[in-house]
Amino acid sequence: MMPMLMRLKVSRNPNGSGVMLPVFFVWILLFALMVILFPFVLIAALFTWRSGQGKWLLLTYPLLVSVLFNLSGLHIEIEHSDENILIAFL
Amino acid sequence: MNEERKKILEMLREGKVTVEEAEKLLVALTSPEETKPSAEKPACKYLKILVEPGSQSEDQERVNIRVPIKLIRAGLKWAAFIPKHAHSSINQALHEKGIDIDFAKVTPEDIEELVSQINDLTVEVEGKDKVRICCE
Repeated sequence: MMPMLMRLKVSRNPNGSGVMLPVFFVWILLFALMVILFPFVLIAALFTWRSGQGKWLLLTYPLLVSVLFNLSGLHIEIEHSDENILIAFL
Repeated sequence: MNEERKKILEMLREGKVTVEEAEKLLVALTSPEETKPSAEKPACKYLKILVEPGSQSEDQERVNIRVPIKLIRAGLKWAAFIPKHAHSSINQALHEKGIDIDFAKVTPEDIEELVSQINDLTVEVEGKDKVRICCE
């Protein structure tokens, strides 16, 4: 399942909860962009098929989707004396 | 294949033992560890990297990273996009770090096997900072 929310915290207060960002909006925009770009990618893949790069161009779509679908659970937290940074996909 | 197994198979070829007898002998040779079903370890879901300040460290920076194994698998598939002419640079960089492998010969199956064995990985380094890499 794709992450729907992202918890982002950039603060000096270690107890701050940060903000929840609805990343599903980003996915919607990204998928719309992918659909719009698909005919161009297809043409580029056809032109570069002989060089062997066309296959990789087409593979970017499923690979990108697989990365996005598996982002859930990614948690990056950096605590410093000055600042705390947290990025978590929920 | 060890010597005993070879001997049994030779005896079978020479007709000194029947197929059933050879099978019994081969089973008897199998070590208890091989016959015993391996204790199922819970599958590792995340790779966790923790960096904490050590006792002598002045810097109080802490890093806590948790990466889903599925994301690592998906990310590693992007390695196929590395152009062939970059392989020599990668090999050279790996060699400088003391890793003598030919990147061009690393197949997706090898990577898959590596990731599947990550369950048993635990790295603990205690120097200026404490670094712990483990699975959970």
